[in-house]
Amino acid sequence: MSPPIAVFLTEEGTVHALDDTCTHQDASLAAGWVEDCRVECPLHESTFSLTTGEVDQPPAKRGVRAHQVTVRDGEVLVELSTAAPKLPPGVEVA
Amino acid sequence: MIIDQLDTPLTGTSLKPTPAGVAYTDPEIFIREQAEIFEKMWNAVLRADSLASPGQWRTVTVGREEIIVVRTRKAGIKAYLNVCRHRGMRVCTTAEGRSKTLQCGYHAWTYALEGELVAAPNLTSMPDVDRGEHGLKTVHVREWLGYIWLCVSPAAGSSAPPSFEETVMTEVSTRFGEVQSLENYGIEKLRVGQTRRYEVAANWKLIIENFMECYHCATIHPELTEVIPEFAQGWASQAQDEIHGASFGAQVEGFTVDGSAGVAALPAIAEAQDRKYYAITVRPQVFINTVPDHVIFHRMYPVSAAKTIVECDWLFLPEVVEKQLDVSRSVELFHRVNLQDFEACEQTQPSMSSKAYDDGGALVPSEHHIAEFHQWWAQQIGPFARGR
Repeated sequence: MSPPIAVFLTEEGTVHALDDTCTHQDASLAAGWVEDCRVECPLHESTFSLTTGEVDQPPAKRGVRAHQVTVRDGEVLVELSTAAPKLPPGVEVA
Repeated sequence: MIIDQLDTPLTGTSLKPTPAGVAYTDPEIFIREQAEIFEKMWNAVLRADSLASPGQWRTVTVGREEIIVVRTRKAGIKAYLNVCRHRGMRVCTTAEGRSKTLQCGYHAWTYALEGELVAAPNLTSMPDVDRGEHGLKTVHVREWLGYIWLCVSPAAGSSAPPSFEETVMTEVSTRFGEVQSLENYGIEKLRVGQTRRYEVAANWKLIIENFMECYHCATIHPELTEVIPEFAQGWASQAQDEIHGASFGAQVEGFTVDGSAGVAALPAIAEAQDRKYYAITVRPQVFINTVPDHVIFHRMYPVSAAKTIVECDWLFLPEVVEKQLDVSRSVELFHRVNLQDFEACEQTQPSMSSKAYDDGGALVPSEHHIAEFHQWWAQQIGPFARGR
């Protein structure tokens, strides 16, 4: 079972998929601010790369998983990462 | 001729009464004014171009409410009560800023610039919380004359605010008249050359009453009366039903502190508006003064029965502001008028609680139009116990 996935469409028109939950505290990155191919967590100031999932600054210390995205005939296909998800304290995959 | 009006036989007595002194001092009356007048009517709060880019916000106070006014990314200018829907902390804790979201500093409830709740710690595990329902409470917004106007009550969404067209625009055009249209001044296209903020230790009604009459002009406004000699007769621009353009003196070149020339005239004013000063009151808290080359726009914010903040903008053509032309003599004239007026109001306020003013004071014929303001005021707040 995978944790929720957030799918992003940038202003440049590229599509990306990350684990939706910030690694610092339970918050949905889908509600975050997308700019320069990064998403800023809506709660605190960590931003995550839309391509690799790496984090730039605290309070989050660990990146999120990035998933492979293919757009075919207008459909977004996501191939899940096989890495273990990195979830914040107290959040478990249902 | 203005002087003719003084010769016209007056019906009734020369003196009309003012409200009793208690109207200017009583905290309960003041609360009723906040609730029934300032929170129910449209208030001009900010120049729209003071929020230039998305995410820029300022906090303002209308009645008893603090309000966030923000330029959004997608929905123009929006305004919200500055109260977190979670536990009530102020969401914005400074006078202005720029941010991607509006986030409460207590538990990080986070609102989009468009108002809805977008994030909160553990919100994902509370799927029953409707993010729109728990968004910031919105306040009605209109843009007119380049200003942002707010109406606090009723809450946006629950029912309609008073019609802006009927309560603000019609009142202004009725007062300004068809020919001497306010539109000619193009106020929405002007830029702020200077803003001054005055903390006045007086009731807001004393400030309105003062602004509405010119019986005091020859006594306390020497510079203004030099520029507009007819003010010595005591009749204000707004003393009659239709506004009267008060003429500059023959030797006066412009509406400046020394009567020297101002800057280039606003391009669309009518011939009849040249070399004239006009003033109107837009209830409950705006005064607009127009002269050929600039517009002076006052906004009042009552703080208590005995304290009012007044912000005054001097608006000029954009090129005047961009080229940084010297407008200091233009600004100085009405800045002095403001200081002279506010000092008179501050010297009047303490007497409002004197026995001598238990039954109020008097309005002379050139002030009789102020009685209409008093009637309007009394209608808004309803009956109150007179006396002390």
